[in-house]
Formats: sequence, C-alpha cells, structure tokens
Amino acid sequence: MGYLMAGIIQLAVIIVLAPLVNGIIKKIKALSQKRKGAPLLQLYYDLYKLMKKDMVISETASWIFRVTPYIVMSSVLLAALLIPLSIQLQPIRFMGDVILVVYLLALGRFFMALTGLDTASTFGGMGSSREMMISSLIEPSLLVAVFTVGLLAGSTSVYDMMQNSTLTGLAIFQPVYILTFLALFIVLIAETARIPVDDPATHLELTMVHEAMLLEYSGRYLALMELSAAIKQLLLITILVNLFIPLDEFFHIVNPIMMLGVSLLGYLVKVVAIAVLIAIVEIKTVKLRLFSVPNLAALSFILALLGFFQYWIIGR
Amino acid sequence: MENYLQFLSIAILLSGFILVANKRVDSYIKTFRLQSVLLALVAGLIGVGNIAREGNWEIMIVCLITLAIKVYYIPHLLKKTVQKVQYKVEKDFFLNIPISVLICCALVIIIYFVVPHIDDLRNANLQVYLANAMALVLIGLFFMISRKKAIGQIIGFLVIENGLFTAAILSTEGMPMIVELGIFFDLLTAVLIMGILVFRINENFESIDLDKLRNLRG
Repeated sequence: MGYLMAGIIQLAVIIVLAPLVNGIIKKIKALSQKRKGAPLLQLYYDLYKLMKKDMVISETASWIFRVTPYIVMSSVLLAALLIPLSIQLQPIRFMGDVILVVYLLALGRFFMALTGLDTASTFGGMGSSREMMISSLIEPSLLVAVFTVGLLAGSTSVYDMMQNSTLTGLAIFQPVYILTFLALFIVLIAETARIPVDDPATHLELTMVHEAMLLEYSGRYLALMELSAAIKQLLLITILVNLFIPLDEFFHIVNPIMMLGVSLLGYLVKVVAIAVLIAIVEIKTVKLRLFSVPNLAALSFILALLGFFQYWIIGR
Repeated sequence: MENYLQFLSIAILLSGFILVANKRVDSYIKTFRLQSVLLALVAGLIGVGNIAREGNWEIMIVCLITLAIKVYYIPHLLKKTVQKVQYKVEKDFFLNIPISVLICCALVIIIYFVVPHIDDLRNANLQVYLANAMALVLIGLFFMISRKKAIGQIIGFLVIENGLFTAAILSTEGMPMIVELGIFFDLLTAVLIMGILVFRINENFESIDLDKLRNLRG
C-alpha cells in the first residue's frame, strides 16, 4: 500500500472521527446528570452551520488574526499524517518524527496565543497567558514520556514505537508503560482543555482558558479552530492508544485489506474507550484553581521521570 | 503472574505519591484505604498461587486479615477520630505540593540506584518489587515529617508499615503466619493508642497541631 493511499486514509478517518469524540464525551456527561443531552453528531451540525455564516472581524485585527486558523489547521493535519492509526498503514515516517509532532502542535498553540493578544481584548490576553503557562508546565512531561517509550523501542519514530509495543504483548501491564501511560493521560487532559485543568463548557470569562483565545472568532474561522482543536484531541488519544494498548497481535488475517479494516475497527473501539475514560474523569473531578495546575503537572512529570529511571536503572 | 505483581507494586508506589499530593485529611484516609486494597490484592494473588501449588492457606488468611484490619477497621477508626476532634481544614504541610512530590521522586530515584547494588539480589523481578517497596517506606517517612497534624503522622506511620509489608510479602512470598499476626496486632494497638493520644492532645491544646506541643517547655 502506497504512502499516498495511507495518507488519504489517515486524514479521512481522523477528520471524520474527531468531532464524534467530543460528542461521545458530552453525551456521557449529560447522561450522568440525568439529562438527555445534545445528539452525538452535534459538533458536525455546528461546524456545518458555522461554515455557512458570515464573519465579523475586528477593525484592529492584523494579518495574524486571519492567518492563524489556517496555520493551526494545517499544522494539526500535518501532525495527523505522522501518527499512524494502525500498524497496517505505512504513513510518512523518519527518525525523530515524534519530536516534529510535539512541536507542530506547539506551533499551532503559539499562533493561537498570538491571536489572543492580537485584537487586544482583555480576555484574549488572559487566555493566552494561561495557555502558555499550562503548556510550558506540561511540555516536559510529554517529552520525557515520549522519549521513555522511544528508549524502549530504540527509535524516535512513532511507527517503530508502535511496532515495539505490539511485539511486547499487553504493554500496559509493564511498569514503565503504566507510568508513562498515566503521565500522558494527564498531558492529554491538560492539552485538550478538559476539566481538572480547564472547563470546555464554561462561558464564564474569568475561568476560561482555551475558549478565551477564540472569543473574537466567528463563522468559518471559528469552525476551523473548533475542528482543529477536536483533531488535536484525537491525535493525542491516538498516540496514547496506539503506543500503550496495541490490539493487532490478537488478529491473524492474511488478506491485507481485511486486516486493515479489523485494525481500524479495533482503533475505533480503543478511542471510544479513552473517550469514556475522559468523560468519567470530567464527571468525577472539579476544575482546579489555576494555581493548583502546577501540582497536576508536577505529578505528570514525576510519573514520566519515574518510568524513565525505572527502565534506565533497573531495566524493566 | 510476575507482570501483575509488578503492576501492583507500581500501583502501590503511586498511591504513596497520591497521598503526598493530597491536602485534606479525608483524602489521606481514602488513599490509605486504596493502598490497603492494593496490598490485599497482592496478598490475594500470591495466596491463590500458593493454594494452587501446595495447598497452603496461610497467605490467603493474611489477605483476609489485611482486608478486615487495614481496609475496614483502621480507616473507620481514623474517620471517627477526625470527626470527634472536629478537625478544621487548614494548611497542614510545611512544603508546597510540587516540591514535596519532587522530593519524593528524588527519594525513589535514590532507592533505584541503591537496590541493584545489593549483593545476591540478581533476580530482576525481585529488584523491581524491593525498590518500589523500599521507596514507599521512604515516602511514608517523608510524609510523616512534612505534615504538622497528628493524623497525618499516624497515616505516615501506617504507610511505612504498608511498605515493609509489601517488601516482605513480595520478596519472600509470605512470612510465617505467627510473624504476620504479631505485626497486625502491634499495628492495631499502635493505632488505637495513637488515636487516644490525638484526643488527649486535642483536649489539652485545643488543636492537633503538633507545633503547639512546645508549650510544655514552660
């Protein structure tokens, strides 16, 4: 199967699936509060409606404001090409592509923080400064966790890491993997603006982080930003499930197309499972005070660091 | 089997970290209970293996006693004590949480460096178990010295005991029954006495803050 085909499948699956993850999380939260909740496909409707609407752009906005949605979207899509959905697909891979993925996501975040400042609205600036604080706290643990898994695989390419954890068997029961899994799960929650760190449903300006930066956007630009946030969330979930819960070893089908189908189905199940886990965390916890976020980040960092040391010193 | 035991030993170590990252006395007790459940799971797993292999019920009995004493009775006792002394939520620790978590991480890393140098300990599984259990002992010690209130110190003491218990049960696959029973009853009386002591401190000083004990110096 060629690179082109693999790339097309990757992008198609990720773009179609990404808004659904949000739908699932929202639905579970609604059910836990004895509400009926919005339909599962609500975000698709929202995006469709936003695409058709006019845009209102502030007079003081500069070119950064207009260019950011495209930069964020394209950086996220480029990252999507580098993270294989299934070990059967062979997307672009090279040495160190996981570092590129981390910094592509950081590039999008950087431009998002710039637009928050660009229109000089008070809330935008507040959102930007908080987002940068959270991301600078969480980035070390993301990198240490990813490098630890890379050390186990002897490579810094996502595909090689996936292959290694497929060979290991049920990787999640190995001590190093469980530590890095938990570290990356906290990173996932912090990066996707989920509840202990940021509340995605809030519209109280004083507490919001991610939403505050998007406050000035409307119409097509807002649709792009919302979609890229959903895709980024799915990408982080993909890293999590494919590195730590490989299921491919359980199926032995000779036909490559059938195998790919089964593998993607397994991927879907894993993504839904993680979405349920995120929803449970959102239900069970309350939003942390902004100054308590460093505690969570410290916990995530030491989890990753302990994983690294356990592998490096004891060799397990 | 080894995989699951390693998983559990890591989980017990992590519960120590959760304990250090907590601020409230209720959550200390909850986390201690969680840790004891994990401990009982370890004992249960080894116990089932022993029954299957040689029909030896001793470790299973230890598991049941753990469930009864550490999971049910001691947390219950501590909760009652906390209710009676009308503990107010206030700042209870000397260092803030990120720093204490990082210090604990450093303690664990020191242990990781020390354990592979123990002679006659070549078994890799055993190294992981022993490293994690010893790290938990140090975390308990650190917890004890970093909290001001008497309840926190009791929990620290219990965590140290949990660490020793984990080390013993994982590295020897079960001590003699009589030793285990002795430890359990020691622990029980210790907690009872400490509970009463907390009452007395509270009555005399109207707080369980151990800094106030300086008043005795006169």
